[in-house]
Amino acid sequence: MTELERRYLRLLWAYPAAYRRARGAEIVGTYLDLAAPGRRWPAPADALDLARGGLAARLRAAGATDLLPGVRLAAVLAFLAATALAAHWMVPELRPARPEYGLQQVGPFASLGAVVWAAWLAAALGQTLAPRRYARPLLWAAVLATALVVPVSAVTGLSRPPLFVVLPQLVLGVIALGLPPRVPHRARVVPLAVAVLVVVFTQTAVPRIGPIVGYRDVWNFQAPVAVGTVLLLAAVAAALRPGRRWDFRGGWALLILLTPIGLLNLHELAQLGQRNPDWATLAATAVAVSLLGPGLLLAALSARLQAAPQQPTPPCPTCGSSR
Amino acid sequence: MDTPLREPTYLILTALAGEPMHGYGLIGEVAALSDGRVSLRPGTLYGALDRLVDAGLVQVDREEVVDGRLRRYYRLSPDGAGTLSAETERMRRNVEAATTRLRRRAASSAGSTARLAGGLA
Repeated sequence: MTELERRYLRLLWAYPAAYRRARGAEIVGTYLDLAAPGRRWPAPADALDLARGGLAARLRAAGATDLLPGVRLAAVLAFLAATALAAHWMVPELRPARPEYGLQQVGPFASLGAVVWAAWLAAALGQTLAPRRYARPLLWAAVLATALVVPVSAVTGLSRPPLFVVLPQLVLGVIALGLPPRVPHRARVVPLAVAVLVVVFTQTAVPRIGPIVGYRDVWNFQAPVAVGTVLLLAAVAAALRPGRRWDFRGGWALLILLTPIGLLNLHELAQLGQRNPDWATLAATAVAVSLLGPGLLLAALSARLQAAPQQPTPPCPTCGSSR
Repeated sequence: MDTPLREPTYLILTALAGEPMHGYGLIGEVAALSDGRVSLRPGTLYGALDRLVDAGLVQVDREEVVDGRLRRYYRLSPDGAGTLSAETERMRRNVEAATTRLRRRAASSAGSTARLAGGLA
């Protein structure tokens, strides 16, 4: 057995044991057929492919085949919400608060947030126009920029968007990483269309409602609530859509999106406990939402795995005998 | 199996319509059929084959061991041939409808250009 074969066999641990026994030699044989002569290590893309295949096989064996479609649906909705918010937040970045507010500008922009929102708009443009090999790295770059904006601001002392803006964007971004690899051509236009519509709306309608004074403008507090409400309605609509037996993909999407929806409505949720919530109440509410959302998802998954009909151990594909 | 079929699934069935094939052969054939646009990796391919076998569209044909490596050949089942045929017919009708409309559109725009040219002359 070569070193490469041994390494591929190690990656097969992502699959259930019964599946490995039935299919392992065949899958590794195909990888070895495809490998260039002299290759010693599996490519990172091969490792990712096997991890994804193993997860799908485990979910299939547990009778939860609708979870991955649910993850993809949640990713699509999360990406649209993140794009809409990025387009909205770009406007206060381009119109920084007046000097008397004492906020330090970053060049012509209000804060480091300009880089983050530009990365998200580039990701939306990438999903619409760029080939798949560029669209995925652009999405990762946007998520990474969102994750890094707080530590970079802490190190450099430059201004950044407030946490009530950054945190939901980061969670939406992580969920959006589950976007399906292939999106139909018509659907690819949607993120860019959403971004353009939001920018036009914020630029034209908002000044009539009131001036934008950085992120803490009164109107800006309503933007996450509005996006969170639309996201909730879309997820509930998807969850209520009648599906086939044991197909609850809309329900999974709703459960996955509960955390970012809660974070987008953080101020409203905190007000349930305190009329004018202070920083400590907001932080406690954020922690509660961040624990409750994934907790509900895990509880539902556990209940589903116990209730759903289990797939029998895969028989030998050739002779049909169980191993 | 849900229809319309996803493109990789359609291409796997199309590849198997010719003759039984093993995983490595299928990956090459799907790439060739799609002019290199669809490149399947083994983890994805075998996941798709599992679903197709479960749905009764594909069957295992035989096994061989070549250079110490297991090769399992798959063939299109009668149900698989029926599904591929129905899906191809559906796509053919769509292509015909689109082609007819595009021809009509090209003809009408050529006609209006000619009228415009005549009017200016």
